[in-house]
Amino acid sequence: MSATKLDSILEGRRSQPHMLIEVMLDLQDQEGYLPEDALKTVSKELGVPLIDVYRVAHFYKAFSLKPRGKNVITICTGTACHVRGSHLLVNQVRGQLGIEPGDTTPDGQITVECVNCLGACALGPIVVQNGSYCDHMTPGKLRKKIDKAAGKKKEAKDA
Amino acid sequence: MLQYVNVTIDGAPVRAEKGTSVLDTAIHVGVCIPHLCHIPGIHDMGACRLCIVEEVKNGRSKVTASCTLLVEEGMVIRSNTDKILKMRKNIAELLVASAPNSKAIQDIAVRCGVKDVRYPFRNENCVLCGRCVRICKERAKANALGFIGRGKDRHVDHPPGRLMDYCNNCNGCIMFCPMSVTPCGGLMKKGEERLCGQCDSQLNADAQKMPGVCVWCELGKGFQCSRYLAI
Amino acid sequence: MPRISQARDLETLQQHFVAKRERVKTTIVVCGGTGCQASRAGSVIDAVRAELARQGLMQDVVVRVTGCHGFCEQGPIMVFEPGNLFYCHVTPNDAQDIVSRTVKKGEVIDKFLYTDPVSGRKVTKEAEIPFYSAQGRQLLNFNKLVDACSIDDYIAVGGYRAIAKTLKEFKPAAIISEIKASGLRGRGGAGFPTGRKWEEAYEAPGDEKYVICNADEGDPGAYMDRCLLEANPHQVLEGMMIGARAVGARKGYIYVRREYPLAVKHARIAVQQAREYGILGENILGSNFSFDVEIARGGGAFVCGESTALMTSIEGKVGEPRAKDVHTVKEGLWNRPTVLNNVETWANVPHIILNGAKWFASRGTESSKGTKILALTGQVKNTGLVEVAMGTTLRTIVYDIGGGPKNGNRIKAVQTGGPSGGCLPESLFNLPVDFDALWEAGSMMGSGGLVVMDDKTCMVDVARYFLNFLRDESCGKCVPCRVGIDRMLEIVTDIAEGHGRPEQLDLLQELAETVAESSLCGLGKSAPNPVLSTLKYFMEEYRAHVHEKRCPAAVCKALVTYSIDGEKCTGCGVCLKACPHDSITGEKKKPHVIDTGLCQRCGICIGDCKFDAITVR
Repeated sequence: MSATKLDSILEGRRSQPHMLIEVMLDLQDQEGYLPEDALKTVSKELGVPLIDVYRVAHFYKAFSLKPRGKNVITICTGTACHVRGSHLLVNQVRGQLGIEPGDTTPDGQITVECVNCLGACALGPIVVQNGSYCDHMTPGKLRKKIDKAAGKKKEAKDA
Repeated sequence: MLQYVNVTIDGAPVRAEKGTSVLDTAIHVGVCIPHLCHIPGIHDMGACRLCIVEEVKNGRSKVTASCTLLVEEGMVIRSNTDKILKMRKNIAELLVASAPNSKAIQDIAVRCGVKDVRYPFRNENCVLCGRCVRICKERAKANALGFIGRGKDRHVDHPPGRLMDYCNNCNGCIMFCPMSVTPCGGLMKKGEERLCGQCDSQLNADAQKMPGVCVWCELGKGFQCSRYLAI
Repeated sequence: MPRISQARDLETLQQHFVAKRERVKTTIVVCGGTGCQASRAGSVIDAVRAELARQGLMQDVVVRVTGCHGFCEQGPIMVFEPGNLFYCHVTPNDAQDIVSRTVKKGEVIDKFLYTDPVSGRKVTKEAEIPFYSAQGRQLLNFNKLVDACSIDDYIAVGGYRAIAKTLKEFKPAAIISEIKASGLRGRGGAGFPTGRKWEEAYEAPGDEKYVICNADEGDPGAYMDRCLLEANPHQVLEGMMIGARAVGARKGYIYVRREYPLAVKHARIAVQQAREYGILGENILGSNFSFDVEIARGGGAFVCGESTALMTSIEGKVGEPRAKDVHTVKEGLWNRPTVLNNVETWANVPHIILNGAKWFASRGTESSKGTKILALTGQVKNTGLVEVAMGTTLRTIVYDIGGGPKNGNRIKAVQTGGPSGGCLPESLFNLPVDFDALWEAGSMMGSGGLVVMDDKTCMVDVARYFLNFLRDESCGKCVPCRVGIDRMLEIVTDIAEGHGRPEQLDLLQELAETVAESSLCGLGKSAPNPVLSTLKYFMEEYRAHVHEKRCPAAVCKALVTYSIDGEKCTGCGVCLKACPHDSITGEKKKPHVIDTGLCQRCGICIGDCKFDAITVR
C-alpha cells in the first residue's frame, strides 16, 4: 500500500487513539483488507499498542486481515431473511463453491460473507454483490450470479 | 488519609476502606466468595461471574459481581443466598465442563458444590479468565498478550510476529494461570462427568457446611487467593 | 449560503422555502431508501428526471427523493402531490409513460396502482391504502415531506423551530420537566424514562458532558432506525440539540452501524449542512449554546448496541461492555456524564417541544406514551414499517395492518424484540404494544422488530437460530454468556437433531435462568429470552422433538424426509441438476426420485422446483 494513501487516511487523526476504528474502516474500504505493515504504522501514528490494534481488527466483522476476492458476495442472515430461506443461499454457496462463509475461493475470485441484517427486511432474502443490493434471492438466482462472477475470469482468459 | 464506610455483609456489619471492592473487603474479613479472574492489586474485569452477590437496595435485590462493585456507605450485601449459591454452582459447572483437567478449576467447582456435571466434557486449554493478559499489561507493562477474537473465537494471543519481540520473560502469565496448576492423577474423561471431591485441598465435610467462611483451601494456596497474598 | 445567526433568520428562511414549494405545480415523491434502492429506485429516479428534462417540464415539476416510506415490498414507490396518487412497482422503462400521461395529463395508469391483498381492489390514494390508514404515522409521515439530503426542505416544513423555541423559552431544567411530563420512554429496547435519564445526567457533576444517538440497530429484522436516519436526519439532530441544551453537553455523537451506508451518508450530509447554516457550532441562533456533532461508524458488532460497549467503541476500542453499577449518565463516554438515546427517541423530542407534553401523553397507555414504529416482517401479507399508538393490540397489527397470513397457513406466534425478546403465542394476541405488558408476558418491546410466524415455523428452530446469532455476537468476556449460550445451543441442537433427552429440558431451563441473572451485560441477560419464552409457550413442540423425535412444523432437517410427489413431477430435471449431493435420479419427462440416504435436506431442490412437487414430512 502506498505511503501517500495511508498518509491521507491518517491526516488529522495522528496521536488520537479514539480514531482507531475510523482509520481502520477507511483502510479496509480502500484496500479491501488490513495489510500488516499498514497496521504497524497505524499503531505507531495513533499511539495505540499493537496488541490493541489487533484486538480491534479481530473483534469487528468489518475487518479482514486477508485480502478479499475480486467479488464480495454478502448474504444477509437476519431473522426476516432467515424465515424466507437465507440458509438455503448459504447451502447453495457451500455446494457450488466448496467454501464456508468468511472464506475466499482458492483462485481469489469470490469471497462469501454473511451479515446479520442489512435493514432491507421486507425484500429478503437479500444478497449484496460488490455494493449493489439484490432482493428476493433464491438459490437458483444466486447460482447464476456466482457463475457469472466466476465466469468473468474465463472470458478474460479466452480473450 | 484513609476513609471508611460501613457496609453489611451477610448480616454482619463491616468497616470497609473507601475505594475497595466488595470482594476485597469480604476476603479481608474472612468471608469466602469464590472467584477466578480476580487478582489482588490488578484491575478487575468481572468476567468469571463466580463472585456474584446480591446487593439489596430499596427493597429490591440486584445480582452483581462483587469484584467490580465498590463499597458505599450503607450497602447491604448477601453473598450466599440460595439463589446465589445455585447460580455460582451452575457457573462453576460450566467452567469445569470446559476445562475438567485443571486442578484449580476442579477445586473451585467442588467449593461451589458441583458433583455431577451435566454437560459433555471438553478439554480446553484456556478458560479465558484474563489473568495472564492483565498481569502482562499492568504488572509487566509489556502488552504482549491480549484477547483476540469475539465470542466463541476469543483466545489469548500476541501481536503477529515473534512473541519474544514483546515479552520480557517475567513468567507472570504462567504463575497466575489456573491451568498451570498440576492436575490430579486421574484424568477426567468424557462419559464420566463427575467430580470425586477428593482433591488435595483441605476441603472436608465441615468446610462444605460453612460455605461462606474461609477454610484456607488448597485452591487459595496454589492459586494466589488474596487472603494468602495478604499474609 | 444562508447563515442563520438569529432566530429571526430562521423564520425568514422558512417563509422563503415555503413560498418556493408553493410555486411548484406537481411534486413526484419517490422513495430512495435502502429497500427501494435494492429494487432499483435509483434508476427510476434518473429515468424520470431525464424524461422531465426531455419534455421541458423541469420548471413546474419537482422530483423529491425522500428516505424510506416503510412499504418496501411495493417499491419503487411514487406519490404524486397534490392528489396523493400512489404508484408502486415502478420500473425505469415506465418513466416516459408516467411523465406523458400522469404528470402532463393527470391520467391514472391502472397497472401501477396498489392492489389490496385482502379485498383484491385497486387503491388510488396513498391515504386510503389499508396498510397505511390502519396505522397512526406520526413520525413516518414526515419522511415523505422532505428530501433526505435537503436542509432547506426540513426548514420549509418547520424544522429547527423546536430548538429555536427551546432556546427562547425553556431553561434546561424546564426542558427536562417537559420531557418527563410527556412520559417518553426510550425506544431502543429497555424503555427507560427519558426525562429521568436526562435529569440524572443534568445533576451529575462535571463540565464536559455528551449526548449520543444510538443508530447501531443490530436487531436482525428491525430497520426503523435506518429509515428515520436515512429519511430525516435533521430531525434527529434537532432532538439531540434539545437534549444537549437540557443536560449541558456541547458535543454529540451519532453512532451508525457501517452496514447502513446510506444512513451514514445522509447523516454526514445533514451535519455538514447544519454547520454551513450555523445551526451547529458556536452561539446557535444567537444564544450562548454551542454544540457540534461527530459521526462514528460501527465496525460490525451487535454487542455495540449496548451502551457501555458503544461508548468504548467510540473511544476506539473493542466493544466489550462493562458492569453498570455506576450508570453511564454519571460515568459514560470517557468517564464523563453521557446521555445515550435511540434514534426514534431523539426523533420524538422536537415534536414534544413544539406540541407540548400533554399532546404526546394523550396517545398511548398509562405507562407507555406516544407511538412506536415497528418492523412488521415474516409470514404476513403486508410487511414493512408500521407506526402505531402504544396500546394497539398485536392482533390489530398482524391482521388489520398486516393483512393476515401470507400463505394461508395458521399464524402461530409473533417474535418481538429481536434476539433479546421472546415469542408470544396467538392466544396472547390481545396484548397491547406496551413496554410493561410485553415484559410481563415474557418478551419485550425491544427496538420494535415484530416477526410473524406461521405453523410452518418450528419454534425449536427459532430458539436455535437466535442462540446461534447470539453466540456469534457475544463479546466473550463473561462465562455465563460465552459458555452458557454455547451450551444452550448444544442442548437445543441435540433436541433439533433428534438426540434430545427429557432431563435436558430441565437443564435448559435452569441454565437459561442462570445466564439471565448472572451475565455481565444486557446481551447475556436477555439472550435466554427466546429459549425461555419458547419453553414457556411452546413446550409441546420441544416435547414432540424429545419424546417422539418428531418436528411438528416439518422444519428440523434431521427429523424430516424429502420426497418427490410422482403426480406433480414433470421430470424436467431441474432438481437433479441443482442437487449438490447427487441424491436425485430420474429420466427426462419421468417422475424423479430422491435417495433419502444421500439427501441432506438442504432445501435447494424445493427452491428450484416450479411444480411444487417436493414434499417434506
